[in-house]
Amino acid sequence: MDKSFHVVLMYLLVHFGLIFFLFPNDIISSSDEGQWMPILIGLIVHFVFVYIYMRGLSFLPEKNIIHIYSEISNGLAVFILLPVFIYLLLTNIIGVRAYSEIVTIVFLSNTPSWAIIVLLLLISAYLASKGVEVIFRTGVILAFVIFPIILFVLIASFQNVDWRYLYPLFNDDFRFITNPSYLKSFSAFTGGFLFLGFVSPFLTYKRKKVLIAAAILIPFFLLAVYIPVLTFGHSTSSTFLFPYIMAVDSTYLNWLMFDRVTMFFILCLITFIIVQVSLLLWMASQIINHWIPHNPIYSVVTLVIIIFITSLMITNWETVEHLLWLNSFLRFYVIFTVTLSIYNIGRRSKRKGLS
Amino acid sequence: MDEFLIKIKNKFRNNDDLFLQEEQILDVSVIFIGFNTLIDLTKTKRTLHKHIANAISSKKTIGELLNELGEVKEEDMTEAISSIMKGKLLIVIKDQHKYVILEPVPKLLSRAIEKPTNENVLQGPLSSFNEDIETNIGLIRKQINSSKIRAEFFSVGPEQKTKLSLLYFDGQVDKKLVEKVKLLLEKNQDRELNNLQDLTEVLGFSGWSVITKFNVTELPSETVPYLRKGRIVLLVDRFPFALIIPCFLWDMFTLENDRNFPIPLMTSIRTVRVIGILITLFLPALYVALVAVNPEVLRLELALTIAQSREAIPYPALVEIILMLIIMELIIEATVRLPSTIGPTITMVGGIILGQAVVEAKLVSTLLIIILAATTIANSTLVGIQNFLAVRFLKYLMVILASIYGVLGILGGMVLISAYLASIETFGISYLHLNYEKEGTKYG
Amino acid sequence: MRTLTLIILTSLCSLLLLSGCWDTKDLNHRSLPIAMGVALEDDNYEIHLQIPDTNQESVEIKIVSEKGQSISKAIDKLSANMESQIDLLHTKVIVIDKDLATKGFKDLISGFMRDREVSPKALVVVSDEKIETLFSKLKNTTDPQGTNLFDFFDKEAGWNPQISLTRVWQVYRSFYSYTKDVAIPIIKSGDSTTVEHLGSAVIKNDKMVESINTEETLLLNAFYNESTSGKVEVMDEATLMIVSNSMDHKSQFINQIPYLKSQLNLKVVLLETTDNPTTKEIKTSLETLLTERFNEMFTKIQESEADILGVGQYFRTKIPREQLKNWRSEYYPNLRMDLQIHVVIQNEGQLKLVDH
Repeated sequence: MDKSFHVVLMYLLVHFGLIFFLFPNDIISSSDEGQWMPILIGLIVHFVFVYIYMRGLSFLPEKNIIHIYSEISNGLAVFILLPVFIYLLLTNIIGVRAYSEIVTIVFLSNTPSWAIIVLLLLISAYLASKGVEVIFRTGVILAFVIFPIILFVLIASFQNVDWRYLYPLFNDDFRFITNPSYLKSFSAFTGGFLFLGFVSPFLTYKRKKVLIAAAILIPFFLLAVYIPVLTFGHSTSSTFLFPYIMAVDSTYLNWLMFDRVTMFFILCLITFIIVQVSLLLWMASQIINHWIPHNPIYSVVTLVIIIFITSLMITNWETVEHLLWLNSFLRFYVIFTVTLSIYNIGRRSKRKGLS
Repeated sequence: MDEFLIKIKNKFRNNDDLFLQEEQILDVSVIFIGFNTLIDLTKTKRTLHKHIANAISSKKTIGELLNELGEVKEEDMTEAISSIMKGKLLIVIKDQHKYVILEPVPKLLSRAIEKPTNENVLQGPLSSFNEDIETNIGLIRKQINSSKIRAEFFSVGPEQKTKLSLLYFDGQVDKKLVEKVKLLLEKNQDRELNNLQDLTEVLGFSGWSVITKFNVTELPSETVPYLRKGRIVLLVDRFPFALIIPCFLWDMFTLENDRNFPIPLMTSIRTVRVIGILITLFLPALYVALVAVNPEVLRLELALTIAQSREAIPYPALVEIILMLIIMELIIEATVRLPSTIGPTITMVGGIILGQAVVEAKLVSTLLIIILAATTIANSTLVGIQNFLAVRFLKYLMVILASIYGVLGILGGMVLISAYLASIETFGISYLHLNYEKEGTKYG
Repeated sequence: MRTLTLIILTSLCSLLLLSGCWDTKDLNHRSLPIAMGVALEDDNYEIHLQIPDTNQESVEIKIVSEKGQSISKAIDKLSANMESQIDLLHTKVIVIDKDLATKGFKDLISGFMRDREVSPKALVVVSDEKIETLFSKLKNTTDPQGTNLFDFFDKEAGWNPQISLTRVWQVYRSFYSYTKDVAIPIIKSGDSTTVEHLGSAVIKNDKMVESINTEETLLLNAFYNESTSGKVEVMDEATLMIVSNSMDHKSQFINQIPYLKSQLNLKVVLLETTDNPTTKEIKTSLETLLTERFNEMFTKIQESEADILGVGQYFRTKIPREQLKNWRSEYYPNLRMDLQIHVVIQNEGQLKLVDH
């Protein structure tokens, strides 16, 4: 059945979770002016890889990438899927740890982070154990409830914008490309679309619609960076850990019965993170399931326990940052190998089919 | 006395309402057997005599007459017993081991068709189902004048059989779905079926699900549109309502009767119901979260007012709200239990407790009373008692999560509830389906 | 499987119950200070808090004070000595002692931004007198919720266009921004009213360098495009009410000298007149009055090298970012500012102006 709508919403939701937290800081600290250029380059990379990936997958309909690789050879499956698995696990560990830290920094200052990790992981484990269709359906409900709130906050965050901070528009300095922060920012550009290759036997989708979703995301990528820049100016916003959240925090709506709109905003994004974590968990359990067939609930529980213990071992934010940095290499490796190999395999199988 | 009669007598030992009456039909002595609690004997005899008089005038033999009255059977003991149980009249021909099962004039044991008692109808058809399954099917047939309505009968139960009927609209319904349900009903024929929990098990659903998988209504006017939209309706004898499968989340907010109003009004009525569920789930939790964990979210003025109203209250917000919610549950439960003559007493006493005394005794804050009232009212806007109960139950999850994690807990609870709703499937159809009708027609 | 999940769930629940709820503290056990006064005394911060003490019937204002090496240290000491925990979550107004303001208060504001307990939306105010005197005056309020100081600045309540509104995040921004400084309102306790507004303090980086009076602050607000409606302007000929205002700017950068041409458009309504002036007279006298006042203020702030008007923002397109860093010291003192005021009398009220 065509589930493009589900896939599109999930695509948006996963990226929203990635865009608004760490991404603005990465971009702002990588370039002093004309931030749209690094964003544009990132977006081009995003589009190119998503397109290649989906094009490759479209040659091999009704198959997910695990099937595709293991049909070619078991060696290839191990060679590619093992890094993917490690990447998924690492992303989950870092994600859970980072977001629990964000929650403690922003509003639950006395709650130990393990308690928050427990909450995040329990909900995602429940979701992941129910299977991919449930994850997507949950995503749809959440999108319906939460997108209006996010849109509202986005509009409200324009309150203190000083458009003159937009200038200077152009930056002839391309050193940002080698800046570690810029490489880290690719977690938002390339960290969210891997799931497209995993869902195919369960859900099918139209390529065009996913590309439309990616196009919808463009303004959000820009706003997440530009709203803090326009509110505070670059030199001030580069001193913040979460520039966008600070920008939202500075809006003052005296007709609303709530005082800190930021909290709702962050929490709404945290729900997206929960969905994303569950999706990653499910993908990881699918990979395990391919080698050792079992009830997915066992692998999910095992993975959750592993993630919980490892994330507890990360004691400070510095380590989180370091791991994010390490993970960005792994991500590039995974994204390159997976998308390109899928495309090649797809092309070859198509040619075979023709001849 | 012959053997057959003794057997029957033995079977119905200690049943003083069983009658065995000797009679003469065309000079053959026969015995009438049946329950006088189920059969109106005088009237039955009167009709019978008319038949006999007819038979005499047209010079029929006894055999012919009996054949005319009903099926003549021999020896079959189980058949005889089950027909007596069903309230049929047995005419046994003495010393011949033959009997006839006769459709007697029954005693009137069912209600007349009345107004609904559990659902209120605003500007719509008022007749509701009653306990008699045939009446109910009749009501449905009356409501929808279509040759495409199919009604299939089943009986489920190990010893005492419960009649069950499966209705669907041919051409709209998914044939595979009907087959699945039929298969299950046939497979589980020997299961006990006394209540809806039994029925859930017969249909192979888990009994632990908070959300029931049937949509329940006692109005034929609500049932028929569901049939037309390709759903299956189950009617169980002695249950004055129709069970509709599969059931969806959206059913919680819609009534067919809404369509008797103009579209803008219909939309706003439904929006009110959606707001109702949101308030029920979020408001008590928000109170706990904002009072105890994240007071910075509140506006200063509001925070001070709440602090003032909570001054001198001896326990934390969680205990306060759980206490009052439980009292509220007790009041609701008590009003259901009590006969309507004493019911108002509860309302009054409850009103005094909740409205005035608790606040004046400084046991809970005034704001909490407002929240409690708003929650209860909002909860009641949902369609269907089963949904009302489910949402009432789920709000406690939210309250507890909110007391630990504050607003984060509320959002976490929301994800959890959404995930739970998303995971419910009835025969492979998701609970969250929005346009089942459209897809349903594809199967025609 | 079901039993396993049940066991896990129950054990987790009991674990949570045992370790308790970490951030749970009911509102009535928290003290929510509305205003915080900060002064510097021998390298120690001295803080004063205005806390509404809620009773069943009424709200009483409590003023507490403590000294400490840092704000959080002082708050901690106070919390230990009080029957409820102090939460700065709802602090709306930060009052800074004038001495501290002239010495610089970067650490103070940065601390607020870092900790996030104090909302970045809290207002920053400079006190012209001892904080202690000001706060003791605040205590004698009859305000039902004790939010008088906050209401004074609240746009819904007591705010006037002569009062500049500057929030913590704006002050913080001015520390780092190359081209934007802020003006902070100066207050002291009044004789008949609780608070008396004196004007605004001009802050350069994190130090108060100059002050401007209330009328100049009005112009400043007009320059910010903040709505100045409702303000009554008294002149020799007439009293007017400004109903709307807008600004246009044109910036030029010639020979390393920035030029800014600004036009302030005012729409006014006549309230009172003396000696039957003509509309033209009223217009010209208002225009000259405001222009003079503005020029006076501008030379003052230009000398102090504090760009509270944010003029530098208009040159972001003209001066490269590297050189913009030196805006305050190199370009701003040379800036040629030309303000033109254009007045439209929207109506003359219920009476007609009689032409002679």
